[in-house]
Amino acid sequence: MDDLEFRRALFADPTSNDPALQKAKNSSPARQKVSQEMDKLDQQIASALNVDVPDDLCDRLILRQTLASHQQNKRKTRIHLALAASVALVIGLSVNVLMFSNAYTNIADYALAHTYHEADHFSNEEQTLVSLASLNDKMASFDGSFSQDMGELLFADYCRFDGMKSLHLVYRGLSQPVNVYIVPDSEHLQFSANFSDKNLKGQTIKFNGKNIIVVGDKSEPLKQWQETISNNVQWST
Amino acid sequence: MATKQIRYEALVKALHGDLFRYAYWLCNEKQVAEDLVQETFLRAWRALDSLKDEKAAKSWLITILRRENARRFERKRFDMSDYEESTITDTKSASTEQEIENHWLREKIAALPEEYREPLVLQVVGGFSGEEIAAMLSLNKNTVMTRLFRARNQLKDALDEEPLKRGQYNG
Repeated sequence: MDDLEFRRALFADPTSNDPALQKAKNSSPARQKVSQEMDKLDQQIASALNVDVPDDLCDRLILRQTLASHQQNKRKTRIHLALAASVALVIGLSVNVLMFSNAYTNIADYALAHTYHEADHFSNEEQTLVSLASLNDKMASFDGSFSQDMGELLFADYCRFDGMKSLHLVYRGLSQPVNVYIVPDSEHLQFSANFSDKNLKGQTIKFNGKNIIVVGDKSEPLKQWQETISNNVQWST
Repeated sequence: MATKQIRYEALVKALHGDLFRYAYWLCNEKQVAEDLVQETFLRAWRALDSLKDEKAAKSWLITILRRENARRFERKRFDMSDYEESTITDTKSASTEQEIENHWLREKIAALPEEYREPLVLQVVGGFSGEEIAAMLSLNKNTVMTRLFRARNQLKDALDEEPLKRGQYNG
């Protein structure tokens, strides 16, 4: 190891355990002196680099981390709460939309659908009949009454007619029951006077603020039914 | 969670001193150094799970701190090579000879080019080998050894040149 190499190796790392450097250190008195001087300088450097660390730095580091992770936890729970709230809101809104949106746009479609839906509950052979008094009791909430029986009334009760309170009457028909709906006028259901599909047909008459819809099978004389109703119904307003 | 907290506190206790000293010599300002150490440990907390080898903790933290320091320069470009003497604060009054000497030598170290100072600090304060420093600074080992040589050589020259001037601090 020549002098330059020695100096470079020593200055780069005075505490090195490299055997070649150790050997070189002791190879001459001059090198020993240089080596000792360098050891002293390195101690001085170490002492100078060893600046005071603020006493409370350690505590502050731990405190700040504790606060930060506490904040983070709080933020997390808040995010969870917000997420839960959003999900609940979305569910609420969609249920609302699904439940209360109007799937039908005109009175005919709904009346047919309603009739098919409840067809199983009514039979033309039903023996118990509803009295005129009981019918008029129910008609009272529609501000109307019937002056006499218009046929054999098998069933009379309130019904939801596309979300509106209505009266559903079922009369014995020729072969199938005849359905009569007394429905308030609505904006979202379009009026249609005559309608039919492959099994059923229907007629609607407009009174003041009410519609009376008659739905029966193809053989039923609906015009006659409507005339009977028109002749018997009385509106109090 | 609890074990993470314990690991973190152990890490802080064991390494905050060395990390602070390294930061101090990187930026020459106590306050900035403290901020750097704070940021470094906060980042370390978030990434603590990625630290598998406790032995590598120190170099891991130093790597985070160097990145933080670089980020500081991206945010605010002030020229650190404009070294001002006033930024080296001596918290204790220089009373003993050792402290006077430290003070004098600190100014010389602070005046070293950063590329020489940083490996020196890593070697003397951090206790890292030439290979480890080379890996941390993304340099090859020969470059690191040359810089270490130059750092000590400049300090030795300064020491040899101004032996008398040091006396003026005695007054």
